[in-house]
Amino acid sequence: MANPNTKFLVVDDFSTMRRIVRNLLKELGYTNVDEAEDGAAALSKLKGGGFEFVVSDWNMPNMDGLTLLQHIRADAELAKIPVLMVTAEAKKENIIAAAQAGANGYVVKPFTAATLDEKLSKIFEKLEKVGA
Amino acid sequence: MTSESLQQKAVKIEPIPVINPVINPNDEMLNRIGHVTRTLHDSLRGLGLEKILEQVATDIPDARDRLAYVARMTEQAAERVLNATDAAIPLQTELASEALCLEQRWKEVLAKPSLKTEYNQTAEQTLAFLTLTGKNTAETKALLMDIMMAQDFQDLTGQVIKKITGLAQDLEKQLVQVLIDFSPATAGKKEPDTHAVLMNGPQIDPNAADVVASQEQVDDLLDSLGF
Repeated sequence: MANPNTKFLVVDDFSTMRRIVRNLLKELGYTNVDEAEDGAAALSKLKGGGFEFVVSDWNMPNMDGLTLLQHIRADAELAKIPVLMVTAEAKKENIIAAAQAGANGYVVKPFTAATLDEKLSKIFEKLEKVGA
Repeated sequence: MTSESLQQKAVKIEPIPVINPVINPNDEMLNRIGHVTRTLHDSLRGLGLEKILEQVATDIPDARDRLAYVARMTEQAAERVLNATDAAIPLQTELASEALCLEQRWKEVLAKPSLKTEYNQTAEQTLAFLTLTGKNTAETKALLMDIMMAQDFQDLTGQVIKKITGLAQDLEKQLVQVLIDFSPATAGKKEPDTHAVLMNGPQIDPNAADVVASQEQVDDLLDSLGF
C-alpha cells in the first residue's frame, strides 16, 4: 500500500457514490479524503493544492469527468496527479477517450471493493516504477 | 402547437388546383368534392393530433414526477444502507478487538494456573465481554434488518419504472406518427456533439455493440491500447 496519508479527491455528483468511495478508501487505509460534486468544483479544489490522487465520475453537471481530466493534464501544476475514472459509461469509445486523455485507470460501475483496491495498487506500483 | 396553426397546416397541404376547362363538368365536380373531403379529413386529423399533443404535454410532467420519485426512493434507501453499515462496522470491530484481547489473557492465565487473582480478573473480563457481545450482536442484528428493509424501494421503484416505460412507449409511438404524417423529409438528423455522445449513463444492455460488459473487458481493452 502507498502512503496512507495520500490525499484523495473523490468527484461524483451523487453524494451516495461519494460516500461509498470514501468508505471503500477508508477500508483500504486511506483516510485523507475530500469530495467534490462536479468537475468544476473539483478543479477549483485541486488548484487549492495538496491533492495527490483523483477518483472521478464521468457524467456530471457543470463539468464532466473527461473535461476535468483534460484540464488536469493541461495544467502544469496538476498534470502529474494520477486520475482514476470510476464511471457507469461502458462504451469502448469512452474507455479509449479516457485513456487518450491520460487517465491512469478505468473502473466501470457497479464495481467491487476488490476492483478499486486492485486498480489503486496498480497505479501506485506504476508510479513507484516511474519514480525509481 | 395551437389548434389554429394545426388546421392551417392541414388546409395548406394540397391547394385546390386551377380548373381545367377541357375536363368534363362532372369530373370537375367530383374533383372538387374530393378536395373538400381531403381538406376536412386533414383538418380532423389536425384536431385529433392536437389532443394527442395535449396528452403528451400532460404526460411528460407526470413522467418527470415519477422519475423524481424513483430518484428520491433510491437515494433514501442508499442513505439507510450506508447509515446502517456505518453504525454496524464499529460494533463488529469492537467485538473483534475485545475477543482478541480476551483470547490472549486466557492463554496467559492458563499457562500459569497458580495465579488466582489473575484468574478471577480474566473471568470478570470474560463476563463483561459476553455482556458486550449480547448487546452488540442485538444492535447489529437490528441494523442488518434495517439494511434488509431498505431494499423495499426495489418493489416500489420497480413498479413506477414499469409505468414510465409504458408511457414512454406511448409517447414514442405518437411522436413517430406525427413525423410520418407531417414531415418525413424534414425529420433530419442533428449532428450530436462529441462530449454528449460520450455520456450515455449505465448500459442497460451489456450485449449492445461497442459496450464492455465487465471490468475484465475494460482491462483487456486498456491492455490492448498499451496501458
